[in-house]
Amino acid sequence: MPTVLLKCQHCGYRWDYRGKNELYATCTRCRYKVKIPEDKVRILRQKKSSLELKSSFSTEKRPVKLLGIAGIVNKVVEDYRYDESMLIQILLRLQKNFNWLPKEMLSEVSKQLRIPLSQVYQVATFYKVFSLAPRGRHLIRTCMGTSCNVRGAPIVLDRLQSLLGIEKGEITPDGAFSLESVNCLGCCALGPTMTVDSEYYGNLKVHDLKRILSRYR
Amino acid sequence: MNAIKRVSSAEDLEKLRRGIRARKEPSKHIIAFCVGTGCIALGAKRVLEETIGEIKKHGLEIRVDVKETGCLGICEQGPMLIIYPEEVPYFKVKPEDAHEVVSKTIVEGKLVERLLYRDQVTGKVYKKIEEIPFYKNQLRLLLENNARINPKNIEDYIEIGGYSALAKALFQMTPDQVLEEVKRSNLRGRGGAGFPTGLKWETTRNAPGEPKYAIVNCDQGDPGAFMDRALVEGNPHSVLEGLMIGAYAIGASQGFVYVREEYPLAAENISTAIRQAEEYGLLGENVLGSGFNFWIGVHRGAGAFVSGESSALMTAIEGNVGEPRPKYIHTAVKGIRDKPSCLNNGKTWATVPLIILRGAEWFRSIGTEGSSGTMIFSLVGKINNTGLVEVPMGITLRDLIYNIGGGIRGGKRFKAVQTGGPSGGFIPEEYLDLPVDFDELTKIGSMMGSGGMVVMDEDTCMTDMARYFIDFLLEESCGKCVPCREGLRVLSKILNDVCEGKGEDEDIQTIEDIIETMKEASLCELGRTAANPLLTSLMYFRNEWNQHIREKRCASKVCKALTSYYIDPAKCQACLICLRECSVGAIQGEKDQVHWIKQEKCIKCGTCYEVCNFDAVEKLSGEHLPPAPKGMKPIRKRKGGN
Repeated sequence: MPTVLLKCQHCGYRWDYRGKNELYATCTRCRYKVKIPEDKVRILRQKKSSLELKSSFSTEKRPVKLLGIAGIVNKVVEDYRYDESMLIQILLRLQKNFNWLPKEMLSEVSKQLRIPLSQVYQVATFYKVFSLAPRGRHLIRTCMGTSCNVRGAPIVLDRLQSLLGIEKGEITPDGAFSLESVNCLGCCALGPTMTVDSEYYGNLKVHDLKRILSRYR
Repeated sequence: MNAIKRVSSAEDLEKLRRGIRARKEPSKHIIAFCVGTGCIALGAKRVLEETIGEIKKHGLEIRVDVKETGCLGICEQGPMLIIYPEEVPYFKVKPEDAHEVVSKTIVEGKLVERLLYRDQVTGKVYKKIEEIPFYKNQLRLLLENNARINPKNIEDYIEIGGYSALAKALFQMTPDQVLEEVKRSNLRGRGGAGFPTGLKWETTRNAPGEPKYAIVNCDQGDPGAFMDRALVEGNPHSVLEGLMIGAYAIGASQGFVYVREEYPLAAENISTAIRQAEEYGLLGENVLGSGFNFWIGVHRGAGAFVSGESSALMTAIEGNVGEPRPKYIHTAVKGIRDKPSCLNNGKTWATVPLIILRGAEWFRSIGTEGSSGTMIFSLVGKINNTGLVEVPMGITLRDLIYNIGGGIRGGKRFKAVQTGGPSGGFIPEEYLDLPVDFDELTKIGSMMGSGGMVVMDEDTCMTDMARYFIDFLLEESCGKCVPCREGLRVLSKILNDVCEGKGEDEDIQTIEDIIETMKEASLCELGRTAANPLLTSLMYFRNEWNQHIREKRCASKVCKALTSYYIDPAKCQACLICLRECSVGAIQGEKDQVHWIKQEKCIKCGTCYEVCNFDAVEKLSGEHLPPAPKGMKPIRKRKGGN
């Protein structure tokens, strides 16, 4: 309970008040009503609210509730039962939720899985899918597979680069698009192909691109 | 849906199958939509929604069923649908056509002529799917069922006889007999190298260590090949059934399916299939009440070509970086967590149930002496009918390209076909009559690979393609061993120079030296075969290399640095289209003035060439550039008032 030092205006008695009232307290010696000064009321209130907070977050006999990034990571890691061989799957899931993998997230993964951070980074930088830098709201992936290449994928990529004003692997200044190329989307019969988010576009023509992009602006 | 009942014996499975068949009404129409990734890219989902809307509008919900099936192979003609029981195939269906499909074909029983398959050369219309030349010349064993089942519904697979091979293996055969049958069938791995499957199984079975693992490789990184996607997407249970039979033979209790990141639908469908098989008691503890236990986990790749290599794939499953290791000890003996692990391609696993059901002798009767069975090719590139084809081994390339593929697009001349992805090679015209099987292709410097077949016409530059593959592998090389990492880097530099017209005669000797070292000293098969495209390009298309190096000219007009664009003043109609589309403002001119290209500004992106409606934009290479016609009036093709 919060305590404040009060002085009785009537008899001059000083005592430690530890009650619930916020405006008046009763003097323990003369039973006179004593007004609690403004600044001390504040202390009382603060102490009260911090006490309430503490009781609701009491860690005794309760699992630790993680907040922020730790909580996001914990949800996924728990799903995979803290299995470190699931590292790639965990990172994939995190990236799906978060669009990219911030540094803090990687270190949190390493902490919770109890593996060295270097191992997490090794995996995150080896595989092409993982992005360690923020991505745009929409991810454009153009296929550069053999079939698409033969059927004109380089021209499509050139056009996309000039339309968006960015190189492959970059993000537009307004954060709307990221442009990446992949080796094969598995739609080889329809080349050139690209995906925007999870939407597939086949048999692309150079002059269609502007129209397709305008749908996502 | 009925309440799911666990199947606990072979008789139960038969009973379930009979029940499913009895529930079907034979007179009921079924509209089967291909919703493979290819058709989705062409808008199949919208056609599907429209059709369902139309059916509701006509009040036909009870009489008509809509089924979503996997890839039907002929992706060029998508979105496509088949109407059962008449088996009417419709191609290139647009959402607007849904009304006609329902009102004409379903209600009145008439055909919509416009949507049937029309041969591009003869103009003949085909009403049956088997009559279409693309399908007529195929032998579809693995892909056949894609058209008949919904991959998300296990009952469809059970209805057509699924899991009966598993029941046969579990109750009528011992693991040794299964192994013997597969060995006798002479089945070879469909992933590329063509290693005998039975032998691999036996190695794993006899290797010390428990538990043993069985793995499906569906990390088809080869650009230009997508049959694994179509198979796992369209018929995931056939892969699972094969995997279980294999696991029973080698004594494995844990299986993995490794799916590449770029195939989200395949991963989704196989996960659904595993869940359903577990619910039905066809997977998990005590499969079909036989005492055989098997669990399968799905692992998704994260975009690394090298992860398709067996030892790299296994480290990826362990959650580490997918780098290969030296294979003095084969992965069949020491794979995942140093335990015996049997890795096969998805197609190999899917073939196993067929062998068990119909016998090794039947399987051997298909194909050639050394390579039995069928092979799925993805026939893509500059060809009329692109898509997936399944043919018996030993078919000639000419049959594949001209009879099934329908010849080269736009009547152009055939130049080469690239097989086997980045580890394969180019095959020129003179070998078109070669029978396609594992050994024949290796003899001429290419390889079967996983079955990618990219057809190239005269507009493809072979030097540029070699550069493309080397650049591809350079990007994908894991960098663990020096010959591959550094060799590819130097090769890429030389090839880029050649394509930019900076090549010299000595370069070819340097290339050959590097290739020799890489072949001898690389750690994994990827490095050892990396130079195959380059080698075959050098071997069969040497004249193109000489043109690039000596004459500084690219006959196919692909290499940017050796090509320039020119607008023919006799053809240009001054329509302003290319002028507006040019992103760097290199095209000069105005209305009623022939356009010309400011060469110093041009970045050779080829956009003007693509958009011109009058074929006025030309590519020139090694020729003298005519002077720009500044301020000239266009020569109109049509009269002004028209």
